[in-house]
Amino acid sequence: MKLDLGNPAWRNTLPFTRSVPSDAPVAACAFSRDGTTVGFGLGDGQVRLLPADPKPPATAAAEPQHKGAVLSLIGDPTTDGFVSGGDDGRLLRIALDGGAVEIVNQKGKWIDKLAAHRATGAIAASVGKMALLVDKTGATREFGPHQSTVTSVDFSKDGSRIGAAHYDGITVWSIGAVTLPPRSFKWRGSHVALKWSTDGKFIATGTQENDIHVWRIAQATDMRMQGYPAKVKSLSWSADARWLYTSSQPVFTAWPFAGKGPEGKPPLQFGDEGAGLMTVIAAHPTAEYVAGGYDSGEVQVGDIKSKRSAVIRMVDGNAVTCLAWSPDGASLAAGTDNGDMLVIDLKR
Amino acid sequence: MAQAQVPVTVLTGYLGAGKTTLLNRILSEQHGKKYAVIVNEFGELGVDNDLVVNADEEVFEMNNGCICCTVRGDLIRIIEGLMKRKDKFDGILVETTGLADPGPVAQTFFTDDDVKARTRLDAIVTVVDAKHFLGQLEQGTEAEEQVAFADVILLNKTDLVSGDELEKVEGKIHAINRYARIHRTQKSKIELDAILDKGAFDLKRILEHEPDFLEHGHDHNHGEEVASLSFSSDRPVDTEKFQKWMGALLQLKGGDILRSKGILSIDGAPKRYVYQGVHMMMDADWGSPWKAGEKRMSKLVFIGRNLDAENLKRGFEDCLK
Repeated sequence: MKLDLGNPAWRNTLPFTRSVPSDAPVAACAFSRDGTTVGFGLGDGQVRLLPADPKPPATAAAEPQHKGAVLSLIGDPTTDGFVSGGDDGRLLRIALDGGAVEIVNQKGKWIDKLAAHRATGAIAASVGKMALLVDKTGATREFGPHQSTVTSVDFSKDGSRIGAAHYDGITVWSIGAVTLPPRSFKWRGSHVALKWSTDGKFIATGTQENDIHVWRIAQATDMRMQGYPAKVKSLSWSADARWLYTSSQPVFTAWPFAGKGPEGKPPLQFGDEGAGLMTVIAAHPTAEYVAGGYDSGEVQVGDIKSKRSAVIRMVDGNAVTCLAWSPDGASLAAGTDNGDMLVIDLKR
Repeated sequence: MAQAQVPVTVLTGYLGAGKTTLLNRILSEQHGKKYAVIVNEFGELGVDNDLVVNADEEVFEMNNGCICCTVRGDLIRIIEGLMKRKDKFDGILVETTGLADPGPVAQTFFTDDDVKARTRLDAIVTVVDAKHFLGQLEQGTEAEEQVAFADVILLNKTDLVSGDELEKVEGKIHAINRYARIHRTQKSKIELDAILDKGAFDLKRILEHEPDFLEHGHDHNHGEEVASLSFSSDRPVDTEKFQKWMGALLQLKGGDILRSKGILSIDGAPKRYVYQGVHMMMDADWGSPWKAGEKRMSKLVFIGRNLDAENLKRGFEDCLK
């Protein structure tokens, strides 16, 4: 799929978007594995499912699956449904009819971050001070405890390890049949987001202190990138692992990881300045594109090759809280803090 | 979504002082308000409330080389999470453990932009055990610091001590923190509107109700013990000089200065300039307007240890125009 961002006709027409309102903030959104369905996790405990094709009418509201708020949602790597975590301490598998099956129930804890590994069918979750692993058979294992609550989890490219962020650094756990001791990578402060690079070589974190930290896992060396006006809560690696995209700037911001890496280099910033600061960023699953949502409600899509960007949703004053690309990269899901659930069709 | 800032009340107090009793009282009373409650121990709470969140008091040190810049990261995470809920609430109550230092809790509300945007620290309420307070002072710095940080103090269990003892305890509280409002209570019994949504932490608001809040009193200096010091002048303050001086002072002495507060008169400005700090963190903003004909005063308060009265006085006077 090509996004013709250089074409004024493309740039001046907003893509077809279906916007379904709800009355609770959208915490997370995701596409199903087969790309046919979009799930939205809401602050009233519901996981709402919409068909990915934006033309048919939306499905009706279901009963809330979680008791409190949904905090996290991913496409289920083993089915065409979803997996959700909530502040009721439950991790649920959500089928396409909205039915829920409980995987974990730890009352009093929050399940606020999830990651999936497509090839192995495994799911990782943050549950209090532990990182929880659910394998494709549904069996669970816990890793930890860490020194503080786990704030983010992610899989290595091959699915053999998980990385967990917490105070004063990150911990990498080997999750294969052979259990190796965990490796810890230290950097003082609170780490609030974690993403393993798409080539498996790096782990990036966003910190409480408005910077990002990146470790080269094999060499155990690290680097710090500063200059953000706010916490960097959203990180996304390009599909080819050449770029690390980061939120919390008014334009698309990408650190170069090809060749010798970003040491001593400024980030590449490109595209039109958006309204406000970017709250969420999501790299395209296969191509050179990237989507960014702003605290103003604006959504832009950018092209790192042509260094252009285009607005695909206008400012409405409500922050974008989540973004997700369809597996084929032809549509984009987004949610806002006033409850709008969006499916944006980028095919022209 | 444009949202009003949710008031946060922090409940501190030494082990057994009556915090949980107070919390249960707040939650069980028919006030028609909805509170989210952040506690350490689920079990102790007698009230079933699905907005009770278990916190682990996870304090982290910021990566800025300042050892007193410690923050409750768990609170940041929980407040962000609570804001994702559909059901909004009228306030958040944070209960700290009996041995907790209130500094990191207060500093959380100075540090994190999301927390600052969505919530405001309404008051630090400290429950003091009238019978055991003087003994607790001997056992460590916790009881003293909890009083030093307080905006409102419940001097509790007054039925367990004599009138003389009570006077002695209250005198001691006063010596540590002259600016907290003290309510004498038994079994933590108090009108809730005396402690909730008072804006006691926020000087801007308290001044609207009590313009003489920072009245000049007799200055003490007890060295290692926590004490209050205040300075005032009828001359206006040079904001640039003040910020420079206060910034440098807190950088150097922020470990000892637990809290600092000021209401300053600025040349030509129609409003009060309101300043407050917790250890090394500081914040300043415009407060309520001066009334016509009102005598404009600049006042500054420090609560801390090893306060050098002479030096602080000279520093303050150098900032005056």
